[in-house]
Amino acid sequence: MAPSNPLANWERLGDSFYRKVLIYDAIFDEDIELENYIIAGAPYGGAIALHRDESKPYRFREAQTTKSSIDIYSCSGKLINRLNWEFGTIRGLGWSDREELLVITEDGTVRRYYGLHGDFTSFSLGNGAAEYGVRGCRFWTSGFVALLSNNQLVAVSNYEEPRPRLLAPCPEGEVSSWSLIPPAYTLSRSVEVLLAVDKTVYLVDPTEAEDKILQNGPFKHVSVSPTGRFVALITAEGKVWVVSSDFQSKYSEYDPESRVTPRSVDWCGNDAVVIAWEDEVHLIGPNGVAARYYYDGTVHVVPEFDGVRLITNDACEFLHKVTDVTEAIFRLGSTSPASVLLDSVDLLEKKSPKADENIQRIRPSLPEAVDTCVKAAGQEFDPHWQKRLLKAASFGKSVLDLYNSDDFVEMTEKLRVLKAVRDYQIGLPISYEQYMRLTPERLIERLVNRHEYLLAIRISEYLELAADRIYVHWASQKVKVATGDDDAVCKLIVQRLDGKPGISFELIAQTAFDEGRVHLATQLLNHEPRAGKQVPLLLNMEEDEIALDKAIESGDIDLVNYVLLQLKTKLPLASFFRTINNRPMASALVETNARSQDKELLKDLFYQDDRPIDGSNVLLSEALEETDLPRKTEKLHLASRLLADSKDPSAVLQQKLVSEASQLLKVQEALDKDLADRSEFLGLSLNETIFRLIRSGYGKRAQKLQSEFKMPEKTFWWLRLRALVAKRDWGELEDIGKIKKSPIGWEPFYNEILGAGNTKLASVFVPKCTNLPADEKVEMWVKCGMIAKAGEEAFRAKNMNALELLQARASGPAAAEIDRMIKQLRPKK
Amino acid sequence: MAPYPGSDADYFKDKARRDLLTLLEGVRGKKNLIVSQDLAGPVGLFVKFSLLQEYGVDRVFLLENGNVDSSQRNVVFLAHAERLPQVRAVAEQVKRLQRNGNVEHEISIFWVPRRTLVSNAILEEAGIIGDVSIAEFPLFFLPLEQDVLSLELEDAFSDLYLHKDPGCIFHSAKALMDIQQRHGYFPRIIGKGDHARRLADLLLRMRKELDAEESSGLARVSARGLLPSATTESLIIIDREVDFGTPLLTQLTYEGLIDETVGIKNNQADIDTSIIGGAASVSQAQEASKGPQQSSSSKQHQKRKIQLDSSDQLFSQLRDANFAIVGDILNKVARRLESDYESRHSAKTTTELREFVNKLPSYQLEHQSLRVHTNLAEEIMRNTRADIFRKVLEIQQNYAAGTDPTYHHDAVEELIARDVPLTAVLRLLCLESCMSGGLRPRDLETFKRQVVQAYGHQHILTFCALEKMQLLLPRASSATSALLLPTATPAGGSHHQQNTSPRTNYHSLRKTLRLVVEEVSEKDPNDVAYVYSGFAPLSIRLVQCVLQKPYILSLVRGGPVASATTAPTATPASVSSPGWLGFEDVVKSARGATFSIVQKGDDKAVRARQTISGAPAIKTVYVFFLGGITFTEIAALRFIAAQEASRRRIIICTTGIVNGDRMMEAAIEKGNFA
Repeated sequence: MAPSNPLANWERLGDSFYRKVLIYDAIFDEDIELENYIIAGAPYGGAIALHRDESKPYRFREAQTTKSSIDIYSCSGKLINRLNWEFGTIRGLGWSDREELLVITEDGTVRRYYGLHGDFTSFSLGNGAAEYGVRGCRFWTSGFVALLSNNQLVAVSNYEEPRPRLLAPCPEGEVSSWSLIPPAYTLSRSVEVLLAVDKTVYLVDPTEAEDKILQNGPFKHVSVSPTGRFVALITAEGKVWVVSSDFQSKYSEYDPESRVTPRSVDWCGNDAVVIAWEDEVHLIGPNGVAARYYYDGTVHVVPEFDGVRLITNDACEFLHKVTDVTEAIFRLGSTSPASVLLDSVDLLEKKSPKADENIQRIRPSLPEAVDTCVKAAGQEFDPHWQKRLLKAASFGKSVLDLYNSDDFVEMTEKLRVLKAVRDYQIGLPISYEQYMRLTPERLIERLVNRHEYLLAIRISEYLELAADRIYVHWASQKVKVATGDDDAVCKLIVQRLDGKPGISFELIAQTAFDEGRVHLATQLLNHEPRAGKQVPLLLNMEEDEIALDKAIESGDIDLVNYVLLQLKTKLPLASFFRTINNRPMASALVETNARSQDKELLKDLFYQDDRPIDGSNVLLSEALEETDLPRKTEKLHLASRLLADSKDPSAVLQQKLVSEASQLLKVQEALDKDLADRSEFLGLSLNETIFRLIRSGYGKRAQKLQSEFKMPEKTFWWLRLRALVAKRDWGELEDIGKIKKSPIGWEPFYNEILGAGNTKLASVFVPKCTNLPADEKVEMWVKCGMIAKAGEEAFRAKNMNALELLQARASGPAAAEIDRMIKQLRPKK
Repeated sequence: MAPYPGSDADYFKDKARRDLLTLLEGVRGKKNLIVSQDLAGPVGLFVKFSLLQEYGVDRVFLLENGNVDSSQRNVVFLAHAERLPQVRAVAEQVKRLQRNGNVEHEISIFWVPRRTLVSNAILEEAGIIGDVSIAEFPLFFLPLEQDVLSLELEDAFSDLYLHKDPGCIFHSAKALMDIQQRHGYFPRIIGKGDHARRLADLLLRMRKELDAEESSGLARVSARGLLPSATTESLIIIDREVDFGTPLLTQLTYEGLIDETVGIKNNQADIDTSIIGGAASVSQAQEASKGPQQSSSSKQHQKRKIQLDSSDQLFSQLRDANFAIVGDILNKVARRLESDYESRHSAKTTTELREFVNKLPSYQLEHQSLRVHTNLAEEIMRNTRADIFRKVLEIQQNYAAGTDPTYHHDAVEELIARDVPLTAVLRLLCLESCMSGGLRPRDLETFKRQVVQAYGHQHILTFCALEKMQLLLPRASSATSALLLPTATPAGGSHHQQNTSPRTNYHSLRKTLRLVVEEVSEKDPNDVAYVYSGFAPLSIRLVQCVLQKPYILSLVRGGPVASATTAPTATPASVSSPGWLGFEDVVKSARGATFSIVQKGDDKAVRARQTISGAPAIKTVYVFFLGGITFTEIAALRFIAAQEASRRRIIICTTGIVNGDRMMEAAIEKGNFA
């Protein structure tokens, strides 16, 4: 095949050139009348969806062909899939950049077809879409906006978890045309809509609708440039305006000299607008310069961010701006170094000495020339010119001493990939820029969606990318179509995927399960190495116990809780308990959750498990929560009864304590009635009750309680001591001091009373502390401020040192006394 | 090999901050932030409120208060998705927001540390999952200091030991995976305790799953993941239940005592302004105290938050010192500071004067911190001098030293009768149970009765909880206890024994690991025992068994305490005998599984890398305390780290900070019969 002229189909538009590249020919059968179809093309050279426009008259045919459908073709015209359509009038047909087809019907139902083969999810727009009906939809890469017939706008910005959301209400009036600015290019970071109503245009975002106050409406078309900076409008007089997206400045105006309103207005890159009628296309550049193309049949325009695809029955063409690098090389009369470099290759092949001469001439700028050639190779669709340019680059860098060849190598890699997917049998006419933006992973995803597994695997191996998804997709597909018996299918799949890392058998098993092949699903699931992944599917498959075990094995509490939640709603209580019974972690979690959520469940659980103490504890804590005394006592009673039959010593003790608690409550209730007119004692502990009684002077009652509850003598003494000190009842304390023996000794009396500041009374107890060493007693006297007494103590103990220390601290009569003692004690010389 | 420069602490701090701010940025405009109680503190560790304001946060509310201002259009929730009550609270409040208020709300929920299936289910049940945007905030390790990474899970202790909910083990495993993904696999995982074992198993499993997920033959992508780390030496996991005894003792370092007296949370302490003085002059609230029993109106005093971390130079000097010498240090600093101030008089030339003026702000800062810590130390001193504190400490030390606990029962009973805080009493009872293998059933019964009578019958539940946590148990019947007694463990007959013992036998460990070191110097510590004035935490001894074998051996062989610094440096043998080697029999007396796992990688790749980069001289050891760590243990680990500085770096990781009171709080029933 003769190489095409690289300059073919160049069109000058102002300062720059545009070119139209023929990518595929003979796309559609002649009997598909494109003028009668709505067409939507997926971005990045993706698939094309065709739907018969129901408003157009039908030519009489046999019945079967009139059946409504959405046909998905590749760009080369290969029918990928046909979706039968019987769900009502389609008001929106568009694609996401993951090549998911969105179909929105008049009643606001959205169907999202993923994977090109008819799998879909659906959701409803809500927000009154059903009542008012959808008029139309506009799409961006990851969402769309629907216009309802009451001029309300509903935006969906995420398909994974769709959340239809109303934009600000907009004014009444006839909407003549509209368009949207994707969230990535707006200040509000939310989608904004341009709505041409009557003579003006409104900018609608989630919070307000702003009138841009224009006079030249009604505008028949509104179209926003790919980066959201410019807007193309068709005015009432049929002129094309290009204005900034804030409507502050107008950049150009063009008169297409046609009375007929164009069918579509799209942007070709960021600098040119394409308007199309049935068979005529105008390309309008800056300052109103234009190029015109004429066709024999209907032409459809599919916009891309770097150009437009033009689809006719005969051809798929790509119209785009000629990049600077390409222009520098191929432009007529170009003398750029890169251009010279390309020429030199020709000369070299002709063995002309001029080749070297040329190289020497451009030597200083040779590295840039090589770079330019490499870049330009990416822009070409024709392998011939790709090769020429790469050859030139290769020749150029062979002359250079030092050159980083990474770009060159990468470009060859990319071009190989591009060549493979652009093949008409695959039909992905993706440009270099689009490939860069789409990323190799997503390209492979598209291949997988087309079931081109071999190519996908080859490419991912070539690019060293993960191939596990391809295998999984393949296996899932295998599961769907295979008719053999389950064991054979499983064996086949496992054999093929053996040794491939990262394979998610869980996904394959899920497919098998969805296909109703439960046995196969179970078998496949056994090959899943990640326990956690298996759980949801196992639950679906009603393999409850295995699901629970796998969840526990994974150690992930969330999974275990999730399984338990499902099981609890699904199973009868008895079998639920049976399931968790021999799984300690599961029962611990059930217990913990039930404690805050479902006390009855807890009681049942403990009853079933025969754990009386735990059971009574639940009742006990319920008693604590009750505010009403009779009900408190009732709960306590129940708690105690639960333990009645148990012989376990700790249960026996607990039962005693629980009954003691209700006994105490009864006593306290009586005390409140007798002694206080408000609730003062109720709920106190026994010790506090006694303490308060004594402090309030009810010593007798306190004593009665002590014996009633068998409180140890020592404790009671302590309580009485502290309470009396708190009451400052010194008389009573002194009386107690007259008793011979105290079970807690007398030192506490001394300490507590001293702590309360009564040194005089404290001192009374010093001599009673008979078992303390003398020097401690000395210190005690001192603390009471009784130096003389301290002296006596020291004297009795014959402690000279202490006496001497005291001497220093003493004054007045005490000092004399001490002196006397020292003298007396001092050994006579 | 670390793909990001900087320490782990800086890395995790930066990452947390970046993640949160990015999420906040995703919500346009002004927003109210509603954060759950247990996240409010931790968030403060890595981002300041002023920064949040820059990102549009208008006001912050606590989830638990349920007082969200409904006038703001954007509302952001930040809560733990793994804590079901929190999830329910969020669902509840979202519904309330939607019901009332005339503003249409944009609600976002950031789940920490991940979005869970259960949270989805709950939101779905509440019918709001479609109305909120949900994001994940993967918050795991939070650096408290350069050498301390904490998960700051407040409830980890009670979850793990009381509710038997192993959620925090999974959380820890995820967090440790973060470290592994940063540095490569831990070449060795050493650990003690059943939960520790489970954590290690999870780590192994997660690694396998990660390997399975890593994709085919891509040398360059997965090379890092497949190799054991060259910069890490090992991970040591200590399960808290191996050594319940240590945290029950009163911590005696400065930081530990602050924690015991006022409490430290997320590096901050709320301290009464009457103690340290207000930041601004606070007029003391002189409202009439309500009851006559309220001796002081301290409840009406204002609290002031004090930042306690290494940004305070004085504090980093004091924190790990035994409290006995804190006074000395403070005096020294005060004197130095004074002389620094005095230097202004000696300043002759203008340059000298300028120098002085330049330093003035730092003097003032130091002066301020000195005042705070002096006051704080005095307050603590008042407390430690008190009769009750001394009594409690004495009993504790006796228990720890292994004297017959029944001698002290009278004293404990006295404390109960004197109405000391319940936590103190329970700590003593639990300590006895831990240290001597349970209480005699009769004694336990008496104590239970007395505590219940003194503090209320609701504490029947408290005792059940303590029993469930195995903190307070009756002494096992003679059949099983025979196994615990040291006489019944024949040396060498180890294969007859079970590999795991049900309780930690302090009785034998006290000897075999020399837990009690009487002659330790508090001023110039020569052994980790200084942190408890003579008792070496078992948990730390276990770490030493791995890291400082020669030292422990020389300690046990008896004689005076060998100088800690010379013993380990004598031979580099510790490096050549990894894991528990040499102490296998000894550590069997501690509760739970013992393990040492080598994580092998592709040998060839390891060798290749070694020849390329050479083995680094200093490797990192991660010490992970599952279930919590005390400040004293941190101090002890730092003490070891200082000795080992020439060979290894120690990074302390934990689920959170515990102390005895917090352990008791987990069990104590809060309700009462009133």
